[in-house]
Amino acid sequence: MTFDRVPIVESALDATLAALRDPDRLLPHGAPMTPGSTLSATAAVEDQVLSRALDVAARELKKTNRSFYTIGSAGHEDNAVIGAQLRLSDPAFLHYRSGAFMMARARQLPGSTPAFDTLLGIVASAEDPTSGGRHKVWGSRAMWVPPQTSTIASHLPKATGTAFSLGRARRMGVSAELPADAIVVASFGDASANHATALAGINTARYAARLGLPCPILFVCEDNGTGISVPTPAGWIVDTFGALPHLAYVRAAGELDEVWAATASAIGHVRRTRQPAFLHLATIRLWGHAGSDAELAYRTPNEIAAVEARDPLLKNARRLVALGAATPAELIAIVRDTRDRVMRAAEEAAQRPRLTTTAEVVAPLAPHRPAAVAARLRTTPPVDRTGLFDGQLPESLRAPTARTLAGCINAALADELARRPELLLFGEDVGRKGGVYNVTNGLQRRFGAARVFDTLLDETSILGIAQGAAHLGLLPMPEIQYLAYLHNALDQLRGEAASLQFFSNGQFRNPMVVRVAGLAYQKGFGGHFHNDNSVGALRDIPGIVVAAPSRGDDAARMLRGAVAIALEEGRVVIFLEPIALYHEKDLYADGDGGWLTSYPAPPDALVPGEVGVHHPEASDLLIVSYANGLRLSLQAARRLRDEHGVAARVIDLRWLAPLPVEALRAHAAEVGRVLVVDECRATGGGIADAVIADLVEHASIHGPMSSVRAVDSFVPLGTATSAVLVGTDQIVTAAMASVTSTTGLRA
Amino acid sequence: MTGAERGLLVLPGRGAYVATSLGTLDPAHPWVVEADARRRAAGLATLSELDGAATFEPRRHFQPIHAAPLTWIAALLDAERAATDHHVACVVGNGLGWLTALAASAALDFGDGFAAVQELARLQQAPLPSGGHGGQVIYPLVDGEWHPDPALRTIADAAITGDAGAASDRAGVVHLSADLIGYTTFGGDDAGVERLLRQLPPLRAGGRRYPLRVALQGPDHTPLAGHVAAALRDNLASIAWARPQVTIIDGRGRRWTPWSTDPAALRDYTLGEWLSTPYRFDTAMRVALREEAPDRLILTGPGTALAAVCGQALVAEGYQGIRSRQDFERRQRTDPLVLSMGS
Repeated sequence: MTFDRVPIVESALDATLAALRDPDRLLPHGAPMTPGSTLSATAAVEDQVLSRALDVAARELKKTNRSFYTIGSAGHEDNAVIGAQLRLSDPAFLHYRSGAFMMARARQLPGSTPAFDTLLGIVASAEDPTSGGRHKVWGSRAMWVPPQTSTIASHLPKATGTAFSLGRARRMGVSAELPADAIVVASFGDASANHATALAGINTARYAARLGLPCPILFVCEDNGTGISVPTPAGWIVDTFGALPHLAYVRAAGELDEVWAATASAIGHVRRTRQPAFLHLATIRLWGHAGSDAELAYRTPNEIAAVEARDPLLKNARRLVALGAATPAELIAIVRDTRDRVMRAAEEAAQRPRLTTTAEVVAPLAPHRPAAVAARLRTTPPVDRTGLFDGQLPESLRAPTARTLAGCINAALADELARRPELLLFGEDVGRKGGVYNVTNGLQRRFGAARVFDTLLDETSILGIAQGAAHLGLLPMPEIQYLAYLHNALDQLRGEAASLQFFSNGQFRNPMVVRVAGLAYQKGFGGHFHNDNSVGALRDIPGIVVAAPSRGDDAARMLRGAVAIALEEGRVVIFLEPIALYHEKDLYADGDGGWLTSYPAPPDALVPGEVGVHHPEASDLLIVSYANGLRLSLQAARRLRDEHGVAARVIDLRWLAPLPVEALRAHAAEVGRVLVVDECRATGGGIADAVIADLVEHASIHGPMSSVRAVDSFVPLGTATSAVLVGTDQIVTAAMASVTSTTGLRA
Repeated sequence: MTGAERGLLVLPGRGAYVATSLGTLDPAHPWVVEADARRRAAGLATLSELDGAATFEPRRHFQPIHAAPLTWIAALLDAERAATDHHVACVVGNGLGWLTALAASAALDFGDGFAAVQELARLQQAPLPSGGHGGQVIYPLVDGEWHPDPALRTIADAAITGDAGAASDRAGVVHLSADLIGYTTFGGDDAGVERLLRQLPPLRAGGRRYPLRVALQGPDHTPLAGHVAAALRDNLASIAWARPQVTIIDGRGRRWTPWSTDPAALRDYTLGEWLSTPYRFDTAMRVALREEAPDRLILTGPGTALAAVCGQALVAEGYQGIRSRQDFERRQRTDPLVLSMGS
């Protein structure tokens, strides 16, 4: 058996077509294949043959190293019947074997060029209209197909989130271009159905249905029986999904017209009932997982040949001729013409330019539009705010009734909800309870359960709902109850939300502000899972913005900046709220009220780059910190002054990504000695590493640079926390070491 | 890959039959004989007479009732010749060229195709329901190297709403009629056309002055031609529509293949949207180049004016590395990509 099975399968198609006899009777041109259906069989076959030809072209170009993606759709071509029956206004989140689906969908959009577009993706050309040469992904703005890599079913939570948000967006006057009966489709393979994200997406759709909430989504499991080399147990998909409450299961298998009818039934169910359905589509996989996959390593030649004999193109050709929908000569002509034009178009596509510079590659990743952000902050229409706050505006309150961090965030959320009608606030306990720490207290009562609501207890799904809502033009502000819980769902930010502008060349965006309660110092409460101090995983996500306020007034202003950045730059913003400071009132001594602030009224705002400067006149030492570390640093600065006569300037970074390096460098150069107080782990790839590395590389610092950081440990329960976290004694000691050091100082 | 070159057949629109086109018809060709007989029966000058005239009389030859069938049959005869010399993989037409494409691909047989063009031309002779005949105005969109000029595009877009000049002027009705890659074409009623000529900044390109009013051309491919489409649906109810025998691409960029075309849908488009919505020749060419991957563009007569537009389509697409007028002209000198059959 030869290794390259492409010519074998291609020849088998030719031989099958050549051997077919003319039908006894022919259907009239344009007539459906079966009475009462809308199936245009030759159109479906054209789309399927085109998809196959594109797979062949990808492998041909690979031989001369001109293509970079050979994961194909061969064997999955019956998904064309789904593409043909859904509308362009049904958002589609597709997996990577969706070639025929896309060809069929493009048929509904005159002027589209699906074959050439696909080839541009395969050769990673900068002219690829989907990703601009950044990845071969199925996507199209005009056809409502947001692109993603879909390799680990991580697109299902956002697909469900989109379905969940469709009605809500429409009622709120957003995404008006989608009709009231639009539905969402999400496809994936049988092996991918086992991914936690797939199960989360399906579970959330069922959960919504159980609550009586509309969630019109069609899950399409394209079952080829194999995950790379591992066979899926026979019957596993129907065993797992065939009899779940709140999920209609429809099997689509057999002849083309039968697949068509089953698909029509599943789509009809979702459109009519606004409830989820699971379409189990029978497929096969030809030519291995990808071009590099040596199938002979795990399948016998006979097994491979047996799969090839079930090629859907052969099956469908026989059926078309048997029912008189086409003659063998017509099918042969379709195959010849399609192969001919695709191979020539492939040669043309391979000549098209590719991305060459760093600037070109990263352009859509993190758009920087400070002028637009500033304008957005200035021009947001004012609202009558007195009603929001029961007649007394929060900025009019003064000590002793000035606000805590939690109080300021609560007021700022109310202001944002009032002036941005597209804003949604949701998460576990956010609604009726008003948040575990009362940060969202009273907001559901004031703004309604359509905008402020509780979700099921799953972070992946919360971020999925956020992405879906954002795809539709809403501005989601999901809450993750504890930073430690975010890691369970981190790929929803990393692999999906933050990558969307990159993989769609800026055509799709999912702006959001993810509120995360986190960091340590809860006075002995909770242990690791409520005191997680890892931000490295967040800062490692390309293009993401991380805000970490420490004081109430800063938090209110930073929240406004975060919202404006999300809206104007399409960014994913993490708003990391230090739990231990939510209700803190004091700074230096019990009862001093030094951590309470007045509430800055809108439109006062802060944007990345703007640091907080405490004791600006001090110049013996620069302490750089953020969040809890800022409060500790201010306490240490007081002691340094009182006990040692050392004047320390303290900088609050406020923004952990991107770091405010310009301000940082200027202050460091001015003061000369730098101490970074980082409450996160010493080995966490954290802030201290980044700050010091930047200063070493970019600033002219002549004095010593040092840091204090949390120990490389999980945070323990009870009083043992102080053994691993940074404290004021440690800061004072390090500060004194710095000011007494002569390292690097000029004589 | 088959060995034969893939040819893209390009069929020109109604203004293509010009003075140099005189004498191109073979009066003995069966199609010309049949057309002449039908026109004689309808009391019209025959195409042979018009084509055999000693001089080109614009006021006569540009009349829709003459220009449309002359252009149509001359292009169709070239298409027949092209099919014998080349592997025609796909056909596009500009404006009226769509009707030629239907006949060249056998979606309409000669008799029905001729009936369609003749009836269309007859209806176009009549004034608009709102009075006057209206017209078309052409304005360029590219610079000397055929690269898009954003300033011209802005002016063209503003012209639709009446904001192209120094002061707003919303006289009459103006619509986009066709996008010809390097040029845009507006259709309007008489007042609208006058307004465009008044409002569009004058400029000179390729030796011609713009804005340019197209002689004796009505506001085709705009809502102002909706009544013509409606009348055609009634008057052409009996003609027979078939699947094309070669892929044809319409004015929205939709591909109609020999295998999956629903003839009823083809009829509905032709007797509806084709006449009353903008003809996106730019989109049609883009789809043809990208999805059909032609090795050669074969431009039929009459005339050769569309050759530059074909060149602009290649530049717009960067096809085969052609990214400027200079590239195109260089290529034409060495190994012509566009073969012009007309005169």
